[in-house]
Amino acid sequence: MKTLRYLSLFLVFLFAIGHMSNAQERYSRKEKKAHYSSNYNYEVQIMGVGQDGTKVMKVWGFGRRVEDAVIEAKMNAVASVIFKGIPGGHGAAATPAILTDPNAGDKHAEYFETFFSPGGKYLQFITMTTDGMPSGQDRLQIDRRTYKVAIYAQVMYDALRKQLETDGIARSLSTGF
Amino acid sequence: MKKLFSIFILSLVSLTLLGQARKPTIMVVPSDQYCISRGYKLEFESMGAKQTLPDYKAAMQNDADLRLVITKMGQIMADRGFPLKDLEMELRNLEREAAEAAMLMSSTSGSELAESPVDMLKRTAKADIIMDLSFDVKRQGPHRYISFNLRGLDAYTSKQISGAAGAGAPSSAASPELLLEEAVLSHMDGFNAGLQRHFDEMFNIGREVRVNIRRFASWFDNLETYYTYQGEELELLEHIENWFFDNTVSGRFSLSDASDNQMRFEQVRIPMMETDSRGRERAVDTRRWLSGLSRHLRDNFQIDSKIYMRGLGEAWLIVGEK
Repeated sequence: MKTLRYLSLFLVFLFAIGHMSNAQERYSRKEKKAHYSSNYNYEVQIMGVGQDGTKVMKVWGFGRRVEDAVIEAKMNAVASVIFKGIPGGHGAAATPAILTDPNAGDKHAEYFETFFSPGGKYLQFITMTTDGMPSGQDRLQIDRRTYKVAIYAQVMYDALRKQLETDGIARSLSTGF
Repeated sequence: MKKLFSIFILSLVSLTLLGQARKPTIMVVPSDQYCISRGYKLEFESMGAKQTLPDYKAAMQNDADLRLVITKMGQIMADRGFPLKDLEMELRNLEREAAEAAMLMSSTSGSELAESPVDMLKRTAKADIIMDLSFDVKRQGPHRYISFNLRGLDAYTSKQISGAAGAGAPSSAASPELLLEEAVLSHMDGFNAGLQRHFDEMFNIGREVRVNIRRFASWFDNLETYYTYQGEELELLEHIENWFFDNTVSGRFSLSDASDNQMRFEQVRIPMMETDSRGRERAVDTRRWLSGLSRHLRDNFQIDSKIYMRGLGEAWLIVGEK
């Protein structure tokens, strides 16, 4: 009888552990915040073939306020062409990332810290955005404290690539020859 | 201190300039399909069989769209530090060169320029990397769109090293010229990324080349004749294979075909740079690299050989005679 009681207690314990791990999969608020503010979390969509040397895209940003999310979206527009590349669509072919090394961000962490600092050099490579308050489907309130907004941006892809080549971050096509 | 620093910077710059690998030449060439389907072709009969070849000169002289696309591509490539060799200019230069060579003679003896049939055969427009291009303006109801196909081909290994293909967004308002420009802008970044991958690989594991070993018919021995080197008695082709193993990057090569008369090596990875006898860092091409084998055969086996260069990435070594 005693053994049966211990066995049932053990089963209850196992069930509780399993339940706890399930609860963890639902993500805490802190984890969700980490997800939204992650350096790797940017969503971007090409909107067509840009003018010579530029890329036109729709890019999303997260923030506590809509204004913060817009600023992050601008950063994401530049970051996406540097690190991630943009999938093709709307008649435009896929755009490859300027840096081909997947760990380039970590290798040149100090450089990019300055590059993407508030009011940093990255802004030099965005020529046009829809800076007004996004509305409708481009402005989503995910929870009480987080907005996800989309802006349309034009990034000077060629100028950005040249800057990174000059700064020794990206390898030029003619390097070594 | 300032002077010392300047000297250091100058020497660093000169070292970098000296230590530069041989730059491949790139040329945009309209694909055979493009030329032939538009009537830019030359037809003739060879041994009873009808042959059709693309007429590049006619294509360049008559096709405004083709010129537009090539100009746009050239502009983008020049911007990336890789000015393209122009097909039209190259064809014109070859014609002029042939005319001048035919007229040129020595002022003392009146001798003409020496030119073998092989020299004449080699006088063609060529590049190390061919950008094989074709495109089409297609219709879908009232809309027009561009179907674009660009392949980067290594002229020696025949491998496709980069590519970009696809259809643009249909439009009823835009002119075909605008759609063509859009297609080039859309595809060139992807194409250049492929080219960059190829160059990165080249610098990491060496330039991929092709080498043929052949023998002159007048030579009494053949590639299966036994020779002794460093106490090892092996067939000549085995000695040659050993040399390849010792002199390729990480021993990378594949012997795709061998007989007593020839050996065909493919996927041979040769170093991009080497230090010459005077201690200078020099760029290596297939001919220069293969001259090492020629020296090895002469010094250790007393076999003369001739190197026939087919370009940056292919050479033949013909053993038995000079």
